[in-house]
Amino acid sequence: MIRFEQVGKRYPNGHTGLVDVSFRVHRGEMVFVTGHSGAGKSTLLKLILALEKPNAGKVLLAGQDVGEITHAQTPFLRRQIGVVFQNHRLLPDRSVFANVALPLQILGMTNEQMTKRVHAALDKVGLLRKEKCLPQDLSTGEQQRVGIARAVVHKPALLLADEPTGNLDPRLASEIMGLFEDFHRAGTTVLVASHDLALIARMRHRLLTLQRGRIIADGESG
Amino acid sequence: MSEPKQPDIAKPAAAARPPARGAKRDSLGWREQWRAYGRSHKASLFDSLGRLRAQPISTLLTCLVMGIALSLPMGMGLLLDSLEKLGGSWQRAAQISVFLELRLPEQQSAELHTRISGLAHVADAQLISREQALAEFQAQSGLGEALKELPENPLPALIVVTPQEVERAALEALLSELQALPGVEQAQLDLGWVERLAAMLQLGQRFVFGIALLLIAGLLLVVGNTIRLSIEGRRQEIEVIKLVGGTDGYVRRPFLYIGVLYGVGAGVISWALLALGLSWLNDAVVRLAGLYQSDFQLIGVPLEEGFLLLLGAILLGYCGAWLAVGRHLSELEAQVQ
Repeated sequence: MIRFEQVGKRYPNGHTGLVDVSFRVHRGEMVFVTGHSGAGKSTLLKLILALEKPNAGKVLLAGQDVGEITHAQTPFLRRQIGVVFQNHRLLPDRSVFANVALPLQILGMTNEQMTKRVHAALDKVGLLRKEKCLPQDLSTGEQQRVGIARAVVHKPALLLADEPTGNLDPRLASEIMGLFEDFHRAGTTVLVASHDLALIARMRHRLLTLQRGRIIADGESG
Repeated sequence: MSEPKQPDIAKPAAAARPPARGAKRDSLGWREQWRAYGRSHKASLFDSLGRLRAQPISTLLTCLVMGIALSLPMGMGLLLDSLEKLGGSWQRAAQISVFLELRLPEQQSAELHTRISGLAHVADAQLISREQALAEFQAQSGLGEALKELPENPLPALIVVTPQEVERAALEALLSELQALPGVEQAQLDLGWVERLAAMLQLGQRFVFGIALLLIAGLLLVVGNTIRLSIEGRRQEIEVIKLVGGTDGYVRRPFLYIGVLYGVGAGVISWALLALGLSWLNDAVVRLAGLYQSDFQLIGVPLEEGFLLLLGAILLGYCGAWLAVGRHLSELEAQVQ
């Protein structure tokens, strides 16, 4: 599903993002990426999302060279991916329903289809009753769950998460990780960047450890 | 590693784009793709309408600014059109003065008059004898007594010809025909004032054109700036849309619709302003023209011009929005990364 081949990324300001990174994530796998802040976790995610282009090597997503795609193709690449952000990035002036419906709206779905899908996604994260609320009326944990519903509503093949539990207390964090495991069990490839080692250790999935832009460990957590 | 069953991602990912480009990417029928594309447009349109309705005052003000700015050159243009029609009707009064030879006997002058009256393109011909010409000249020039001192009448007889045709070519043809008649000293086409009016109208048109260009540039800036503010306010939304796979076209669409809607509002306002303004002015014009025994009146806003105005306003709104979105989209792009 994801393949990095000797990927190097250096920013114009001299900061090194990644050095000679190679790994594969198979379809349906669940992988954690960990490391101190600045170790290259965000760079890795940005490369997959085509927010950045690698300076060296290749990033392949479902066989497609992400570094080579054109500007016009980028949106169609991103439609295969669902992303969860640390600060959830919900739109404050739209209801929970509208926020989750956004990726479907872009696809031009009918209202019936859209309602069905949004309800299914909200049901999965346990927030079906809050669909009419605005994001600000929800707790931090609920907001993050809405963010997850938005990331999976269009049934992406790959789910990316960048520090999804960064702002949450341990109980909520574990709940959120549980959700990712559910999607993994349903067949979605999941890649979570997190530095919450204690939590990751309990989950027993593959763990990639980054340090100063290099992979220093690749194995099962715990 | 086993490969669990994947959700079918190809279908939704490929929808909502014109089929021409997406045909090879997916298995969806083009019909469904067009429908998805249409739905996406409809959603953008309603979204834009909703946003404009949420800020009625600022929307109205923007439309008013555009409408008033459009009315100005359009109104002047319509006034000039009216004047041109007036010029056309005056041209009917174009006359050819045919001066006869000084020594031509009166008998022959009369014959010539009959002959000219019978010509095909002549509507009317009037003979002014040498004595009449002298009397008129004495009366009008104020040189009455001095002229009496002259040993003989220096003025030739004159036939004033009113032509049937008013086109330049026909007039020239008639002129040379008259010129060639025996006993005619000189035939003179009196078109000077018509040409002066035409020149003035041309000057006016150029002036209006210049003003229109300036105002159009100003309007583009007004729309562009309004849209720019609207983009600033929706920065976060645009970033998220791009992250979840919205194309540039999708991001642009609501703003273009806002531009178009401004254009519709401005066009309607401008049309109404012109129709009201011209009919208000027309009352006074008709009264004035009546004093000159003329049935001249302003032409108002013809339906065709009105629709052209509306179309132009819409196009302006669209272009202004396009300019603003184009510039800011690339700026945003840089920031997302």
